[in-house]
Amino acid sequence: MNTKVDWVQLIIVVVIFGAVTAMGFMAARWRSAGTLDNLDEWGLGGRGFGTFITWFLLGGDLYTAYTFIAVPAAMYATGAISGFFAVPYTIVVYPIIFIFMSRLWSVSHRNGYVTPADFVGGRYGSKALSLAVAVTGILATMPYIALQLVGMQAVFETMGLGGHNTLAKDLPLLIAFAVLAAYTYSSGLRAPAMIAFVKDGLIYLVIAVAIFYLPHVLGGWDSIFGAAQDKLAKTNPATGKPAGAFIPGATGHSAYWTLALGSALALFMYPHSVTAVLSTKNRNVVRRNAAILPAYSLLLGLLALLGFMAIKANVNVKGLDGVANPQLAIPRLFDQEFPSWFAGIAFAAIAVGALVPAAIMSIAAANLFTRNIYRDFIKPSATPAEEAKVSKLASLMVKLGALVFVLTLDKTLALNFQLLGGIWILQTFPAIVVGLYTRWFHRWALLAGWAVAMVFGTIEAYNVINPVTKKHFGGSLANIPFTHTQAYIALTAFGLNLIVVIVLTLLFRALKLPDGVDTTHPTDYAADRGDPGVQDLPELLDEGPATSKS
Amino acid sequence: MSRLSAVKPAYWISGVVLAIAIVVPLLVSTYAKDKPRLWGFPFFYWYQFLWVFLSAILVSIAYRLVIAEEHKRRAAQGLGDPDRSAPVKEADQ
Repeated sequence: MNTKVDWVQLIIVVVIFGAVTAMGFMAARWRSAGTLDNLDEWGLGGRGFGTFITWFLLGGDLYTAYTFIAVPAAMYATGAISGFFAVPYTIVVYPIIFIFMSRLWSVSHRNGYVTPADFVGGRYGSKALSLAVAVTGILATMPYIALQLVGMQAVFETMGLGGHNTLAKDLPLLIAFAVLAAYTYSSGLRAPAMIAFVKDGLIYLVIAVAIFYLPHVLGGWDSIFGAAQDKLAKTNPATGKPAGAFIPGATGHSAYWTLALGSALALFMYPHSVTAVLSTKNRNVVRRNAAILPAYSLLLGLLALLGFMAIKANVNVKGLDGVANPQLAIPRLFDQEFPSWFAGIAFAAIAVGALVPAAIMSIAAANLFTRNIYRDFIKPSATPAEEAKVSKLASLMVKLGALVFVLTLDKTLALNFQLLGGIWILQTFPAIVVGLYTRWFHRWALLAGWAVAMVFGTIEAYNVINPVTKKHFGGSLANIPFTHTQAYIALTAFGLNLIVVIVLTLLFRALKLPDGVDTTHPTDYAADRGDPGVQDLPELLDEGPATSKS
Repeated sequence: MSRLSAVKPAYWISGVVLAIAIVVPLLVSTYAKDKPRLWGFPFFYWYQFLWVFLSAILVSIAYRLVIAEEHKRRAAQGLGDPDRSAPVKEADQ
């Protein structure tokens, strides 16, 4: 364990980081010469990405510090239920997006929609509903970015940055924040996309080495699973219950599958995932990807098991401030088991792998603000330059929001940040996904269902108190009201949401309340590239000068 | 038209295939057990890894069915193949 700065690691991280960033900027500049034909539009590009590039971009977008810090940390601390559920989550997410994402692609490309809120606004003729979707997208992205910050923080802390006193304690976090803010502000969306390949390459390298080398030095899988089983069966003094679950018992089954299903339904509601899907070349690229993206699920599962390896290796997870932090499990495992230089490479991979998605997320959320709040409600006549400026500012605000989440919420398990975001974002599912198939839901019923579920989900999550730290928002599981069945709050709130929407739709239809104008046409939902009216989408606003093209 | 295509066998078969890929991995009680182990992995763990591959296969099957059907539909409507056609700029929309 480094109590002093490990210079070898730090230098390697800084060098790799600098090289990767420089490559991103250079690649972004080449593009203006028109040579990088395939990559040129990842801003939400018109030209569009094929299967191969999309695979990298979606993978790089969705597998983040969540995958290599938060999930293994949860495995380390509490085992299967709140950790390994991520595997069935990433298994079922692809068949789910296979079903509806092509329709979203088609209707967006025929009507020039760039965000989920655009679609909802056009489909239901309701600015209020569009606003609700936009606000939820921005809000839910914040804890997801917070998770990336916590991931970067863990790496910096492992290298020996940080310390006991108040200022030094938060130093790694502030460094992570500063790096992210500077990076996004100066690069826009293009550079992070350019380095997605490099980043993924680095991560594969690290994973491959970790998965083959570590079991070998730690005495084989049998003993790794054995150590995990022993540790998780021990009683946690704070709760009087076992520390975790090695294999979920009967009472844990509902928690396990609702976490998986809720996360899967939520994932493609996030603005940045929608952005990535809409930037594909034609309506079926995302379907083809649904068949090949599970390769990432395999990686995720193997990475999750690193948490058990950290148990076997008896890694010290005490932070430099003296408080145990499970997020340190993986970086400390690398620090302990790898030579310094390779640990440095691994840390660079993790840091870049957290930074790039965080940048993409904050820009996607900022664009949501600019398009669907600023332009729709505050200043419809804004010039592109004004919009670009607002977007940059909004992206900074989103990151500050993320920082607030980190500083105020319980961060015993970073995974909870993402799960909290999921509780919120899932409530936009009825308006977006059901709206792709039918206009039956009434717009005001959707709005009411959304509001009820948002309030319910937030209160439920607030009431979960971490038994050790006594902080609110200590987890994302709660009993379904009137039962003793534990479930992911997002899914319970989602059920409530649907009930409210259906009941009120029946009521509003009976009262013949005005339904709003649907500006989409049934044939829009199956349109494909090259069909009449299917256009390249406008670029994201953040790209500034590039907006005039399209 | 969308009502008609919804009953085409390719669509409902792929629907069933996808439903299997979504529902079966979530039936936790069918796999929450330790034995039999494989290379030291408890059943709970290796079974879910196995599903990564099964899911990829099932989604591929659904993909082939749906694409073949979509090609047929597009050909019947006289629309081009989006994978081959050069990017078309609609000048006057």
